[in-house]
Amino acid sequence: MAETTRSIFTKGIWAENPVYRQVLGICSALAVTNLLANTLLMCAGVIFTTAMSNLTISILRNHIPKRIRMMVQVLIIASFVMMVDIMIRASAPDIHRFIGPYVGLIITNCIIMGRAEAFASQNKPLPSLLDGLAAGLGYSMVLIAIALVREPLGFGTVLGHPLPVRDLWWHSWTIMIMPPGAFFTLGLLTWWARAKTDPSLQ
Amino acid sequence: MKNDSIAYVLGFMLAVSVLFGTAVSLVHHGTKDMLARNEQMHRNRTVAQAFGLEVEGRDAADYEQAVAEHVHETMLKADGRTWPVFQHPRPESGQKPDAVGFEFMGQGVWDVIRGILVLTPELDRILSLRLLEQHETPGLGGRIEEDWFLQQFQNIIPNWDSPKDRRVIIGQSLDPEAENRVDAITGATQTSQALMRMLNQELEAFRKAFMAYQAQAARQDNG
Repeated sequence: MAETTRSIFTKGIWAENPVYRQVLGICSALAVTNLLANTLLMCAGVIFTTAMSNLTISILRNHIPKRIRMMVQVLIIASFVMMVDIMIRASAPDIHRFIGPYVGLIITNCIIMGRAEAFASQNKPLPSLLDGLAAGLGYSMVLIAIALVREPLGFGTVLGHPLPVRDLWWHSWTIMIMPPGAFFTLGLLTWWARAKTDPSLQ
Repeated sequence: MKNDSIAYVLGFMLAVSVLFGTAVSLVHHGTKDMLARNEQMHRNRTVAQAFGLEVEGRDAADYEQAVAEHVHETMLKADGRTWPVFQHPRPESGQKPDAVGFEFMGQGVWDVIRGILVLTPELDRILSLRLLEQHETPGLGGRIEEDWFLQQFQNIIPNWDSPKDRRVIIGQSLDPEAENRVDAITGATQTSQALMRMLNQELEAFRKAFMAYQAQAARQDNG
């Protein structure tokens, strides 16, 4: 079990990372990463949804009729996303006003449906829960890395706190706040990560 | 029962729908009060920003106090609808009003857009525009709530002699220097046009209702 757990986390976070290896979940990765606070809430929502939907689908896997399994999976995923959406709207309304549309789009995030179909529908509940956590953490790790580049360069802040004596030495790069900044950062990160993880490129 | 029979499939889908529908409803019910408080704070903050009120602090109570002290809200009924109308300062202050505002709404590209438009009491100049709600495409039409776009509306002069759909222009105009024109958003032409359409319709309807209300108030004062 220990080996399996390690293997699940290694794959989800590093070797088969959903963002830079499978190029999934790119829409939100580009959209919400110009501020770290927004990114962290989005990541919490995705981790919760991947973990809980994987767990639920795994528990029900032997009872779900094959011909409607995808409908059931979407219904379960959508329910968890609606719960996440309501909780973010209640606890952080200002952040919700910005990331709200992307929280709704978690329903269509290929990472979640992919893990449900490829793993949770064929495995026991605990490994499925861990697999969901690993996929969510892998997604989050990349988003946080992008946000940690974009927010300081674009706003001169980290989590809203200004960099030390920012006005004396830093001029904000507006392009990093805008979509091209996300494309540049994600592209560079993917390039670096592939070079590190793909043996054929080493 | 076989789990691929029609009865099982229908029963299973129904049970899962009821179960998860109930769970979502419970979460919504549990956070109902928080959502209502957040909505009220957002409205107060938007009103405070629209009227340029000075607010001490950033808590819900600070915005509520600033709005309650400086802005009078009333309901104006006309043409089968009710307008939330704002006046600054409050009538009890004894000062002449320097700004009136109203809550407008209309259809954007995807869903309803609601906001507050503030004008001079003579309705000859727009003082500010703020949005309460919009669901346009993030990154494109959604940019209508960014400050650079909204600030363009400060001090533009509605042209009441223009056709009804050109009192305020968002986007291109024969006269680029026109005093009733602001720039549209690149890549969000449909949202820009929807906002222009709704602002012109709402300005026209509000002007009619507001003038009728003022005439009635004047008659009551004289009578």
